[in-house]
Amino acid sequence: MKRPALTAALALIAISLFIVAYRIVSLGYPLTPAKPDYVWTFRFDGVLHGTAKDSLLLLSLPSEQHGQIILEEGIESGSMSSNLLKEYDNRIAVWSGRPGPEGEYISYKASVLLQPTGTHTTVVPPRASYPYGITNGEISLIEGLMAPWRALNFSARLQVVLNLAKKYDFGGPQGNVDFLSLRDALRKYDDPTRLLVLLAAVNIPARTVEGLDLVEGVVGKTFSWVEVWTGQGWGHIDPERMEIVSSKTGFLALSAGGMSAVRTSAGELSAKRFELTRNVMSRWRVFFERTSRSARILDQWSLFRIPPEFQQTFRILLLVPLGALLIALLRNFVGFQTFGVFMPVLMALAFRNTGLFYGLAMFAAIVLIGYGARRGLNRMRLLLIPRMSVLVTLVIFCFIILALVGNRFGVRQFMAVGLLPFVILTMTIERFFVIVEEHGMRTAMETTLGSAAVSVITYLIIQWEVLQITFFVYPELLLFVMGLQILAGRYTGYRLSELIRFRSFRDGT
Amino acid sequence: MGMLRPFKGLSEAGVLGMNTRNADIIMALNPRSKFPLVDNKVATKELAALHNIPTPALYGVIMKHGDIKNFHSITESRDSFVVKPARGSGGSGIVLVKERQGDTLITQAGKSISTADLIYHITDILSGIFSLEGHDDSVIIEALIHPDDVFNSVAYRGVPDIRVVVYRGVPIMAMVRLPTAASDGKANLHGGAIGAGIDLKTGLTANAVHRSAIVSHHPDTGNPVSGIEVPYWEKILLMAARSLEMTGLGYVGADMVLDRDRGPLLLELNARPGLAIQVANRAGLLGRIRQVDTASGDIFATPESRVDWARQTIR
Repeated sequence: MKRPALTAALALIAISLFIVAYRIVSLGYPLTPAKPDYVWTFRFDGVLHGTAKDSLLLLSLPSEQHGQIILEEGIESGSMSSNLLKEYDNRIAVWSGRPGPEGEYISYKASVLLQPTGTHTTVVPPRASYPYGITNGEISLIEGLMAPWRALNFSARLQVVLNLAKKYDFGGPQGNVDFLSLRDALRKYDDPTRLLVLLAAVNIPARTVEGLDLVEGVVGKTFSWVEVWTGQGWGHIDPERMEIVSSKTGFLALSAGGMSAVRTSAGELSAKRFELTRNVMSRWRVFFERTSRSARILDQWSLFRIPPEFQQTFRILLLVPLGALLIALLRNFVGFQTFGVFMPVLMALAFRNTGLFYGLAMFAAIVLIGYGARRGLNRMRLLLIPRMSVLVTLVIFCFIILALVGNRFGVRQFMAVGLLPFVILTMTIERFFVIVEEHGMRTAMETTLGSAAVSVITYLIIQWEVLQITFFVYPELLLFVMGLQILAGRYTGYRLSELIRFRSFRDGT
Repeated sequence: MGMLRPFKGLSEAGVLGMNTRNADIIMALNPRSKFPLVDNKVATKELAALHNIPTPALYGVIMKHGDIKNFHSITESRDSFVVKPARGSGGSGIVLVKERQGDTLITQAGKSISTADLIYHITDILSGIFSLEGHDDSVIIEALIHPDDVFNSVAYRGVPDIRVVVYRGVPIMAMVRLPTAASDGKANLHGGAIGAGIDLKTGLTANAVHRSAIVSHHPDTGNPVSGIEVPYWEKILLMAARSLEMTGLGYVGADMVLDRDRGPLLLELNARPGLAIQVANRAGLLGRIRQVDTASGDIFATPESRVDWARQTIR
């Protein structure tokens, strides 16, 4: 008897944990799904002047290739026409046409969600190449000078280059390098180009990227930095300290591969500004966005895919088993008395409409009135079903009175009772009466307080958004809950309340 | 480990807790299919008759509204009788008639009701008023019990009853429930009756529990509750032990009364006997259950062998 229950419980818990682990490890789900996420609003404004018939403005945009998810975007182009094109990893907005005599106001706005690191699929590893404009003569000169390093492993090569770029300090045992010639050869390049040349010379893929610092505010222009291919993805080289930092968390990349983020032809741009603002994004929306774009089976079968108007119900439903587990624990471990299993859960659901204070007060008042009526009914000796129908009618009549009073005095909660609780109230009245008859008022009051306490705790649980979203993201946790419920069902030890009930045995007889 | 300390006292005393009773004993030994045998007192009475276990004499059963006309023929020749619902619980719906004055009936409590009122009450029972689940019920009309004098000094009105807990056919613990003024003459521990433990070997009453406190004297009569020798003790234990053969239930509470003329009579069987009997006996049921489980197989052969073993072994 004991074994199958234990096996089933552990199996359910293991399955649930396995699916959760799969989602986290393989699909990149967050460990703490309830952590708030941010959405960035990127905005570009400018006024394009030009007399030519076909002025052009090209602006590099946020792109999924840069690990950015574009939730929505909009282009304003005035009298000019605009379209989008792709160029390698970059998305580019193109405004073309003749600007107005006062210049044409153009703008672009996008809501951007930064993909968590490690989740965006990498393309074919790029090949190392020299920046545009480096002659073959220069290449062979530099490669010749750096030849001793080319045989090192990847991270050693990278470290050498970073050290070189940092302080021209070549350090280490490589005595056969002609540093002075190398320094002369590199002198004519600017800092980013020098870094690119050095990296290419030791066969490490690298690129320049133009973009913005990921901080709130307005800036007039973009800046560029060098990114290096680390084997798993692109790493940002911090130009000050010559270290590789993750590029996604600190920077908004717009244009990769040496192209300027903003280019004009036959025109001139004034009042150029880039604006970044950060907004907290509803955790629900974050997940909706990520699953709606995924082709993975578990994402496609995610609860986030069901229409939003139905999702609300499932957020709550997913937590009801947790409430039931809690009731099982409080009853079988502690010895709480409650009116059945479901009454506290249903009461908790009803509190969602009315709030705790009004909910409890209304429940208490109606049960009291109902109990009085039930005593009266008892003298009439009605049959079960007609008796219950009288109570239902009474409860609904109480609701009507409350609604009218609430409307008159502006207490919205009095009107928010909803459909559900009339069943519970009717049954509670009946159960309360039976317990008073069979076990006395004291037990009945204890049971009522127990039920109220359990429903308040259940209410707090189902209203806790952190739990809601965790179960919504990982609905397989229900199996975990079921496992715990089975384990609770096999708890055959004493209840806490039995310490009091059998206290005469404890003092050692 | 320190957290579990308070529980250790209970487990060393062999106290049976609610969770263990439900999961390990009732669910393991009492098949659901056998519950109707004890839930319906008519079925219990018929079974008892098959096994030669005496019950209060059955005058008649009214199964449906159409049978109500039989009420007169059933009660015509009786001066006293009891009307009770077959599925009632907690003593609700029971009317004790002790004498008849023409068309008026005098109840045990001294109230008088007309026959017409009693018939109306019978239709209520048939409609299921006293059955909490609202099922249709039947009405039992049986002999009024005249309680044995042995408990007169410690019973306030009402009829004391004897509860024997039977595990796998072995009587393992017993108590007598004595009505008090607070319990309104009912032998119901929830209602305030006293429960006095009975020593299995000697049949002598010992400790008593009243509302979870240990008492030595009856609160109304002031007489000591301990040291009373229960008559027919061997027979009472045998009747309880036979409940296994009778119902096939492995864990039963057998409720019996002592009739002045007929001796012990089986009132009803309970498939979920309560745990309060442990406090009345200052002994744990679980310890005794384990004793039974370790007994050799041959003690289970007959009710007699089980009773003998229990009286000699269980402490």
